[in-house]
Amino acid sequence: MEVHHSLGTATDWIVMIVYFVAIMLFGSYFSKYNRTTTDFFFGGRRFAWWLIAMSIVATGVGSHSFIKYSAKGFEAGFSSTMTYMNDWFFVPFFIFGWLPIIVYTKIRSIPEYFEKRFSVLTRFLTTLLLLFYMIGYVGIGFLTMGKAILPLLPPEFTLLGIHFDVTLMGLIIVIALIVGVYITYGGQTAVIFTDLAQGLILIFAGMLVFVLGLDYLGGFGVFWNLLPTEWKLPLAHFNEPPGFNFVGIFWQDGVAGSVGFLFMNMGLVMRFMACKSVDEGRKAATFNILFMLPISAVVVGNAGWIGKAISIANPSVVPPDTIPDNIFVVVANVISYPGVFGFIMATLTAALMSTVDTLLNATAAIYINDIHRPVKKWLTKKVQSWKEEDKQELLSARIATVIFTFFGVLSVIPFSKFPTVYEAHGYFHSTLTPPLVTAIFLGVFWKKFTNAAVIGTLVGGVSLMVLGMYYPQPLIQIFDHGTAFDPKHPYTYIGALYNLFVCALFAVLSTLTTKQQLKLVQIIKKNAHHNFIMTSSVIISILIYLVIGFNLAPLPILLALTFIMVAMVVIASNYFIEYKHEEKTDGLTVWSLNKAKEYFKGSKINDREGEKIRIQWKLKDGEDDTVHFSKNDMKRMAAEIGDLVYISDVRKYFGGLKSVHSVYGEPHNEDGLVYIFKDHAAQGQFVEGRTLLAEKEM
Amino acid sequence: MPSFFNTWLPFIYLYGVGGIFFVSGLVIVKKSGGYNSSNKRHRFWWKISIFGFFYFMLIHAAQILAALYF
Repeated sequence: MEVHHSLGTATDWIVMIVYFVAIMLFGSYFSKYNRTTTDFFFGGRRFAWWLIAMSIVATGVGSHSFIKYSAKGFEAGFSSTMTYMNDWFFVPFFIFGWLPIIVYTKIRSIPEYFEKRFSVLTRFLTTLLLLFYMIGYVGIGFLTMGKAILPLLPPEFTLLGIHFDVTLMGLIIVIALIVGVYITYGGQTAVIFTDLAQGLILIFAGMLVFVLGLDYLGGFGVFWNLLPTEWKLPLAHFNEPPGFNFVGIFWQDGVAGSVGFLFMNMGLVMRFMACKSVDEGRKAATFNILFMLPISAVVVGNAGWIGKAISIANPSVVPPDTIPDNIFVVVANVISYPGVFGFIMATLTAALMSTVDTLLNATAAIYINDIHRPVKKWLTKKVQSWKEEDKQELLSARIATVIFTFFGVLSVIPFSKFPTVYEAHGYFHSTLTPPLVTAIFLGVFWKKFTNAAVIGTLVGGVSLMVLGMYYPQPLIQIFDHGTAFDPKHPYTYIGALYNLFVCALFAVLSTLTTKQQLKLVQIIKKNAHHNFIMTSSVIISILIYLVIGFNLAPLPILLALTFIMVAMVVIASNYFIEYKHEEKTDGLTVWSLNKAKEYFKGSKINDREGEKIRIQWKLKDGEDDTVHFSKNDMKRMAAEIGDLVYISDVRKYFGGLKSVHSVYGEPHNEDGLVYIFKDHAAQGQFVEGRTLLAEKEM
Repeated sequence: MPSFFNTWLPFIYLYGVGGIFFVSGLVIVKKSGGYNSSNKRHRFWWKISIFGFFYFMLIHAAQILAALYF
């Protein structure tokens, strides 16, 4: 394999540093919009769809990055775009189900939904799984950044008389320190705006590589004719090679990944929560999947295709045995001029920074919402003022970010053992997403899915997944669709199908036997020693879990023990945790969305269509969360007292940055004028004399 | 070389199995009331959902044909 070092010139390094400083200053300007932790994490439910759609691009392109898709583009051709073109199958579930639920239930994190829908124990289990998932994602981000920057550096250097070898791990530790500084500028509003700028620049830079590459080769016709036919096909070979095949990637990315991306990627979910309404969220999501993802697929993969064409036309410039993960940097260096290469590398690394930043911000949100607040509530009786508490939480969020950054760096160690970042990410995705995806998906769409069933799913699913790792043959082999077994990295992708199957199996079995479980609990409760019996069964379950985890028995016995353990766990869940079906499903599943809307509004829904109106504004003395329009204006908006209203600056290019949500108060008789309080004007950053736009929500 | 295994088999599998997920999504949101056919905006998003499925199918089919015949 060809190893590259010291690519780029002094001009490139200057361009990179200037770009980084500019992006950081840009982000710090928007951090003034962080007034509370709600702003820090959610940006305050106010933004227009186009702003959110563009800011998602940098997150999507950053994490599903130039490095790994160019590597696959070089090895396999246009089929590197597969992962960007298979996200549509779950869109109806998302836009008519999950999106309205996350907005109307006002959840702050995915685990919080699990507590509302199931129980505190379920919230705890999902918090653990989700933190693993997010930290792993951060690790993938660090690994990608390390692989991007390593070819630019010399193999060794001497500083102040001390000799340093440049290693991937050492470089990643330095990157993590820089990210730590970068994130303290942040908050969600700053993240959204830096991502917006970077999304546009990234697409420009990626397309620039394609145009320069085609120019280098002598035009599109030459490029097309140089590529072998297999490199032009959009879908990979059905089941080979084990490192990149269609059927494995369909289940790992098209199913587990798509549901994971839309339903449980907190970085993305928080973006949708920052949209001003459900409809704006729908626009952002569909526009992103229909148009931005296919464009992103070309942007991130084309360096690999260009690299392949050059390696055929001129193998001395791009050797055919170039390390695939280096191909993006090598091609960008070959086809561009000094300075341009620096710009391309700066956009790539800054975007990766954005991805890691978004993920760390989301991880800190989970920590604050699902660990810090519940634990603090449980430990202290001291009542703090709202401001004291908020200040303390912002500090805790920053400390948590540092700790998660450290764990992210640690997780790079196992990931770096895979031949490419793509395979590391694929394996990580196919093992961590299935239990959460199954739990969240069935929780939203199957109202019979109970608390005991979700605990059975998580415990049983994870157990059989562990057994799948110990015994890929025969367990995963049954599902392999003819994919060859690679003893080094067994079933990297198709493992996702096995994992989804075992989680769904326990979900269905646990749900369909709910009546029998409850009968059994009633029988146990009649026994004088019922508490002792149930406590013993929990202890036995934990022991069985350890036997499975450490693989201490032959496979048939372990399989039997798994089913026995799940039965005991499900019975114990019904015994120890009261699950009120009505209370736990009202407004929390797709079957009762109208209830969710009513809870959100606090009263009956008024869904008559009204106009958007332009108005002037005046300040009113006092403090209240109502705004006051004239009777005629209320009629035009089809609004009643107590309905929700969204008021924004009339200039559309602000995308909702200057806006506020409130409630209609008592009307007056001055048409074209709205009375608002000081807090509204401050929160919406309204400018005196500027016209506002008002519309009824929902 | 191109064969059934890297052209039409993945295509049929993608839109066959993916189509099962997609249609079951439409059926579930319709039955549950998540999609409300008397709401004008909902009808618009329903059409967009169906359009998206065929949009990606057409792109993939066109790419396979272009690779094979151009």
